[in-house]
Amino acid sequence: MAFSVLNRRPDSGLGNVRSSPGAPSRNIDWILMLTHATLVVIGCFTVYSASRTKGVNGPYGYFFVTRQVVFIIVAAVAMMIVMAVDYGWLRERVRFLYALTIASLILVFLIARANNGAVLSFNIGPINLQPAEFGKVTVLVALAAFLSEDGSDNVNYERFVGALWLGGIPTVLIILQPDLGSSSVYVALMMGLLLVAGAKAKYIAMITLLALSTVGAALLSGLVKSYQTVRITAWLNPNSKDPKLQTYIFQGRNALRATAIGGLTGAGWLQGKITNTKGDIPVQWADFPFSAIGEQFGLIGCAVLIGLFGIALFRIWRIAHLSRDLLGTYICAGVFTMTLWQMFQNIAMTLGLTPITGLPLPFISYGGSGTLTYFLMFGLVQSVHMRRMR
Amino acid sequence: MAVDKRAARLGALALVAVILVGAIGARLWFLQTVQSTAIQEQVNNGSIRTQLLVPERGRIFDSQGRTLASNRRVLTITVDRAVIRRLSNRTILFTRLSGIVKVPVQTMEARWKDGQYSQFLPLPIAEDVSEDTVLQIESRSEDFPGVRGEEDWARVYPYAPLASHVIGYMGLILKSQEAEFKAAGYLSNETVGQFGVEKSMEAYLHGTMGKVVYQVDSANRVVREISRVDPVPGKDIKLTIDLKVQQYAERVLETELRARRQTDDPTLMAKNPKLKDGTYKFVEPETWFYDKDGTEYLPFPAPAGSVVMENQDTGQIVAMASYPTFDNRWFTVGLNKSKFQQLFPVPDKNDPNRADKSILVNRAIQGQYNLGSTFKPFVAYSAIQSGLIDPEATFQDNGSFVLAIDKDKCNQGVRCEYFNALASGTGRPAVYGPLKLQDALAVSSDAYFYRIGELTYLKEHDLLGNELRNFGFGSKSGIDLPFEFSGRIPSAELKQQLITAKVLGKGESPNYLEGDNVQLAIGQGLLAASPLQLANAYATLANGGFLNRPHLIKAIYQGGVPDGYPGYGDFSEGKATVLQSFDAPETVKQIDMPGTTSLPILAGLERVITGPGVYFPDSFYHTTTGQQLFHDYPNDTLPLAGKTGTAQGSQSKPWNDSSVFAGFSVATDQPDTKVVVVAYLEKSGYGAQAAAPVVKCMFEALGGKVTMADVNIADPLDQTSIYAAPSNVLPADPANTGCLINPYATIRD
Repeated sequence: MAFSVLNRRPDSGLGNVRSSPGAPSRNIDWILMLTHATLVVIGCFTVYSASRTKGVNGPYGYFFVTRQVVFIIVAAVAMMIVMAVDYGWLRERVRFLYALTIASLILVFLIARANNGAVLSFNIGPINLQPAEFGKVTVLVALAAFLSEDGSDNVNYERFVGALWLGGIPTVLIILQPDLGSSSVYVALMMGLLLVAGAKAKYIAMITLLALSTVGAALLSGLVKSYQTVRITAWLNPNSKDPKLQTYIFQGRNALRATAIGGLTGAGWLQGKITNTKGDIPVQWADFPFSAIGEQFGLIGCAVLIGLFGIALFRIWRIAHLSRDLLGTYICAGVFTMTLWQMFQNIAMTLGLTPITGLPLPFISYGGSGTLTYFLMFGLVQSVHMRRMR
Repeated sequence: MAVDKRAARLGALALVAVILVGAIGARLWFLQTVQSTAIQEQVNNGSIRTQLLVPERGRIFDSQGRTLASNRRVLTITVDRAVIRRLSNRTILFTRLSGIVKVPVQTMEARWKDGQYSQFLPLPIAEDVSEDTVLQIESRSEDFPGVRGEEDWARVYPYAPLASHVIGYMGLILKSQEAEFKAAGYLSNETVGQFGVEKSMEAYLHGTMGKVVYQVDSANRVVREISRVDPVPGKDIKLTIDLKVQQYAERVLETELRARRQTDDPTLMAKNPKLKDGTYKFVEPETWFYDKDGTEYLPFPAPAGSVVMENQDTGQIVAMASYPTFDNRWFTVGLNKSKFQQLFPVPDKNDPNRADKSILVNRAIQGQYNLGSTFKPFVAYSAIQSGLIDPEATFQDNGSFVLAIDKDKCNQGVRCEYFNALASGTGRPAVYGPLKLQDALAVSSDAYFYRIGELTYLKEHDLLGNELRNFGFGSKSGIDLPFEFSGRIPSAELKQQLITAKVLGKGESPNYLEGDNVQLAIGQGLLAASPLQLANAYATLANGGFLNRPHLIKAIYQGGVPDGYPGYGDFSEGKATVLQSFDAPETVKQIDMPGTTSLPILAGLERVITGPGVYFPDSFYHTTTGQQLFHDYPNDTLPLAGKTGTAQGSQSKPWNDSSVFAGFSVATDQPDTKVVVVAYLEKSGYGAQAAAPVVKCMFEALGGKVTMADVNIADPLDQTSIYAAPSNVLPADPANTGCLINPYATIRD
């Protein structure tokens, strides 16, 4: 039953008795799906253009884009599986998934301590898994399930504290990794969900305060490795001559310049002076793909990209309204918040509005874990849409 | 209702989204339309490469034009930092390079991480590579992106290890110096002078950086030169040192110290005093002992020493030797830590008997010494000038001096009686009978000067100390060298400081006592001075009261003095431009020196060399301290005056006696040799035994009786050696070493 979407015969007309308007397989949000697909294709071209000329040992050429296509295929299959399953089914399993997430975050943290440095992922052969990425999905479902449990439209104090624990534990573990960028996504998720679930304004304010003080304490106590603080210092002092800050200042400044020189229409495909030559923007294909689009396609290209994100966000927001139950609404609200925040942070850091973090631009940036995570989240949203009439 | 509320909240979320997207939209629009052109221009001009041009460091010459320090062009391999920012790229490139430049990948990686190399400039990977290596790399530029060969300079010392303490050495900028050099525009990985003239003249020697700015294309190839500022080479410096004299001084010093250590002649060794019960007073390491006639003798440790030759009138330093010495080329070859520790061992401070053998110390200016009797002329000057003694009046020397203080105090353990040095014949304090000042200086009567110590103290506690400061004691001479010791004149203040610093024991009185002043009057006690200060004070005495600032720098020249005869610079007419000359004496202070004061002192000092001594009792002849040693010295050719000194060391043990001698020419008609020579040989015996022969040799060489060997350009540094400098002694030829032999000098002081 679950996989009926895969083997469903084409509709043969209104008279088809086996066909029903409420069947999940007939209720995919194709607009969202098409936007999603367009973003992914743009992503592949961006990764290719930003990486092909770089690399000391000869240019990378198709190396990164090939890998990205493989990631997308794997992620698409995973997404289809998620779509085929009723998201309500997850409510029962989410405890196990959440526990698994926390365990793997602790494990990564311990490995990092043992190696005396920042380790964000498990390396299993050629694949590396970042628990902080997959955790976005499990924590999203766990929080959504928890907040929708009593069916109330308000968040009382006990539920607020419970949600704080649920979201706070992984957030703190990720801060300690240290990965301030990813932890900010979790904070955004908590704030978005609590807002939609009806938390009082003071609770939201409390979360904001807690998040700021945790980050502050982590920075001041030295638990967070210096390279995280250096990025913030670099952002605050763009003219510093301190060699420690130079790498980040250099990276940020070049990304900004690349975006700016695109002008209105851009330099054209593979014609960018910065993007398409030597490695002036380190790891541009993962950290600064927006600058690659900005330089090659200009304001128009950027507007199209942001517009596509806008359509996707609007569709998710709409599905939140249409959901058959609170769980679905909350899942959509969470995906909405995280997508919005990651898109904003990545683009804003490219434009020099915020400090540099390692947060990828959803669907555009190169990276296996990130791609898979966002496919899973969009799969969940589709699942909510598909079952809105049940 | 509930649904409406939720819709409102979702609306709030949408509002947040609109605000955030609006913010980036606005910024993006501003950036890509309004700012675009300006940034486009920045980027076009931004594809530039800046290359710093290192100036040639100023060279150092001796007074005869010999090139003491020069430079050699070297090629350095550097890598553009942008190319190796990623670990994987770095590893690949470093692995390829390591085989060609012969540097391990780990070393390159360590340099990449090392903060001392500027982040704005290409990273230097290997220094001093061959032309072939650079060609090999540049011909395969596609395999070595961002790798280039750059020209740089390396310091060379053609005559090393001669005068290493004076010339000094270069080293990387220390952590403590970073701010200072950064402010002066240095790069963080530059080498700078860290010792000697290299350090003190750094500001002149360094020169000014040049800079070329290139425009480069996307592959980092030079398109055109945008601007160029040529580097300004450092100033060339001529020293007052004459390397030929310097070499001779170093050789005489080392030869004498080795002779003191290795002798088996008991008359030249230290005697272990025997007690009445037949046992020996001191216990020392057995290897030192030498048994003969039932008395124990041992050679002196003679670990170290220094010689200074200074022109009396100008204050110019002709030679300045310090032993043990080192080869300053060690600092140009990149020593690792263990090799450095092997070459420059740290003296073990916990071993009280171990002599200080630290090498990287210029003892001539950093030595903190008692001066012994060489100090007496200045004490005499102070007493005459204060009107406390009449140089022609006689004083009865009974072998000791009893302080005129309350006898009860003496019984309570205060030291009241001070003795003369022991006479060699009797083993008891020498008794010289009635002495005028010049007699007291000639035979070095301590009692006479103990009395001055008392007289000056009773008049005013700090009178003697303050008078002595006129000769430059207790303050830096201002010579053009770093790390000079300022010296110590004892006072209540100083005693308090030393007690606080735990140099003096807790039991010591913090007051300045009469005993302290009496000790000061014979150059002992808390007095400390460097051999250079002593030489400069003698120069002041000899030139009639002009306290000059001693100079090592003769002149500063415009950079780029051409090479002349191999090993020499070309200073002939029109070839070298003098910027600043220091030939005129720089008088710090002129002190009052009437003939009534100076003549008796000079008469006494001349008698030290020539005799006669004094007869007491009756016809028993006491020779002067230098008379026996200088009996074969050609005093008619180059007449001298001088003074011996024996500085007592730890626990007054005989083998801790340090030997001092100051001699100066009194021939007014020979301006070229109007010099003061001071020799200080640590733990080497009486003044006449070790230091005086060294000074005698120096003057015999100046007077032409002994020939000084010519100076030759050094062999390349033997990097396998375990010594900081090879042995440098006089050739084993009696004509050369004869001046060192002194079989009679058994007189203390």
